[in-house]
Amino acid sequence: MIRVEHLKKSFGNNEVLKDISVTIDRREVVVVIGPSGSGKSTFLRCLNRLEEVTSGHIYIDNVDITDPKVNINKIRAEVGMVFQHFNLFPHKTVLENIILSPIIVKKVPRKIAIEKAYDLLQKVGLKEKADDYPASLSGGQQQRVAIARALAMEPKVMLFDEPTSALDPEMVGEVLEVMKRLAKEGMTMVVVTHEMGFAREVGDRVLFMDQGFIIEENTPKELFENPQQERTKSFLSRIL
Amino acid sequence: MNFRIDLIIEYMPYFLRGTAYTIGISLLGILFGLILGLFIGLGKMIKNRFLSFPFTAYITFFRGTPLMLQILIIHFGVVRALLGETNGVFAGIMALSLNSAAYVAEIFRAGIQSLDKGQMEAARSLGMNYYQAMRHVILPQAFKRMIPPLGNEFIILLKDSAQISIIAVPELTYWARVFQGRFYKVWEPYLTAALIYLFLTVVLTFLLDRLEKRLKQE
Amino acid sequence: MKKWLVVIFGLVLSGLFVGCGEKEAENVAGEEQTEEKKELRLVTDAAYAPLEYMEGDEIVGFDIDFIKAVAEEAGYELEIEHVGWEPIFVEIEGGTADLAVSSISIRPDRQENYDFSYPYFLSTNKILVREGSDIKSAVDLKDKVVAVQNGTTGHLAAEQILGVDNPNLKKFDNNNFAIQELISGGADAVVADNAVVEEYVKNNPDQNLVIIEDPDAFEAEYYGILFQKGSPLVADFNKAIQTIFDNGVYTEIYMKWFGVEPDIEHLKSLQD
Repeated sequence: MIRVEHLKKSFGNNEVLKDISVTIDRREVVVVIGPSGSGKSTFLRCLNRLEEVTSGHIYIDNVDITDPKVNINKIRAEVGMVFQHFNLFPHKTVLENIILSPIIVKKVPRKIAIEKAYDLLQKVGLKEKADDYPASLSGGQQQRVAIARALAMEPKVMLFDEPTSALDPEMVGEVLEVMKRLAKEGMTMVVVTHEMGFAREVGDRVLFMDQGFIIEENTPKELFENPQQERTKSFLSRIL
Repeated sequence: MNFRIDLIIEYMPYFLRGTAYTIGISLLGILFGLILGLFIGLGKMIKNRFLSFPFTAYITFFRGTPLMLQILIIHFGVVRALLGETNGVFAGIMALSLNSAAYVAEIFRAGIQSLDKGQMEAARSLGMNYYQAMRHVILPQAFKRMIPPLGNEFIILLKDSAQISIIAVPELTYWARVFQGRFYKVWEPYLTAALIYLFLTVVLTFLLDRLEKRLKQE
Repeated sequence: MKKWLVVIFGLVLSGLFVGCGEKEAENVAGEEQTEEKKELRLVTDAAYAPLEYMEGDEIVGFDIDFIKAVAEEAGYELEIEHVGWEPIFVEIEGGTADLAVSSISIRPDRQENYDFSYPYFLSTNKILVREGSDIKSAVDLKDKVVAVQNGTTGHLAAEQILGVDNPNLKKFDNNNFAIQELISGGADAVVADNAVVEEYVKNNPDQNLVIIEDPDAFEAEYYGILFQKGSPLVADFNKAIQTIFDNGVYTEIYMKWFGVEPDIEHLKSLQD
């Protein structure tokens, strides 16, 4: 479903991604781990072109999204993204946050968008917060709303960029719970995270990135219990 | 010194007529200044340096030269070239609009750039194009932040409008000067005009404060 | 209510006068030190060519040559400063300046609050129009847009024809703006002193402006030196004026600026 070929990305003279090639299948949950500065967030942001790639190609359902002629807004509407800092729209209520994009981008009738939004809020356990403003929600609640907002566009794939890193520890669980349920329902997901427990339990595959390369990829069980590369071993020994 | 309150009272109709002009011209000035300023502020934010240059140059010119000279140039030069004759009210509104647009543009740009980059990214990641993201996500938030500096700009414009008396626009300061020319009195006309300006700015400040509070509650 | 106003105004005024007071003190000290040639502060509005105007940063003009001659005759030194038209009256009334020469017409309403010297110059208002204008005399101004310098006799003369504070009467800071307005098409006529309009037309023949005289509508005016009410200087200066009228100095200055002989006898006949 996603095919990345020889992806390179530089910021000025600083090459952050140095030749990444990987394929992600439909309904697969891929967890990307690695030390900070390894390029894993940049890799994720390339997948919906929040960062323009320097060279290489990314195909989503056989459409080359790095082609300048491609309608990137259409691609993005099908690729959901959840940010470390939630990025909810503070001037809109929870409900408005969720229905905004379906209404203006996909031209969904307002009534239907609202029904759908309530379903999604139910799913993330925040139906009673529909008319609140984001500022009155806890971090965990805000992130669950952000997930609902991304899902409202009915994406083919969801990208998670360290979704629990900005949360207080007691709120991490509620967000991971929502993500697990999503995985079980068969959503294709690419997750950048430091939550190794989540990777082990939910991930179909783990990519270990360091210094702009994918150093090693395997099932969580194999990668965690039997790492092949020295750098993987030293990274795991530091965080486990 | 004898202070002639009776002359002030006699001249009050002119002060009031002048005040009406001052209010009207200031309102039109800030209105056109806002519209033009938004446009110029957006222009200045274009990443391509060649395309943004005219907007940057505009802001530099109008912020870097005295308003008084802008008024004279517009009155005797620009408006005459446009209309074939001078028109003080037209030139006054034009000068105030063009001048305030430069300041509004900077307020506008600062308001947008003070927003977290994540807001734009979130909107774009949901499939909105640049204009949809601006209209529904960025601008509504930026406007709220711009209200205090824009209000400040409005107050400055109201006071600056006194300078168009030099091209004989019959606003408040003009009538104060005519008063002086007629009665050879200084304190009476200028203190009266100053008090009227003060009253206008105090009322304006009060209204802007209320607007700000209401927006904060939302 | 009235008291309250007076208190506020009083506060504002006293603040302003602190600055002026210091200057006055300096002047007094200066006078005491130089007994022989007292230095006087003269204020003018140097935007009224050819009577008083700026050449570079120097104030020149007929009035300036005239007053220098008179002051020398009377035994005073002058410190001449361009302050603008309206501040002249404030400075003289407040005593921060000793005298003013600025094409100031001697008028009864001004005489109530100020003292004047003998008349030293005859002036009359004239109308300046564009070539081909249908304005032929003062009455034709009635429905026209007229530009004047605020507070001048031209302003008052035009006001008598158009009515007090008629919106068609545009009052500018100086005559240059008023004439510019005429040239630009924002006004149909300018009413101003003959000296001003004649000088302008002489220097700008390419602007195609025409001067219209109307002695019936515009009374002759006489300029005088302006002093504070009760100023002891008036007598000295009157005496000096008389002297330069008689010794040919006045005629020389007048010829230099206007190229014709002055009617000194007429000016003298007005002295009383």
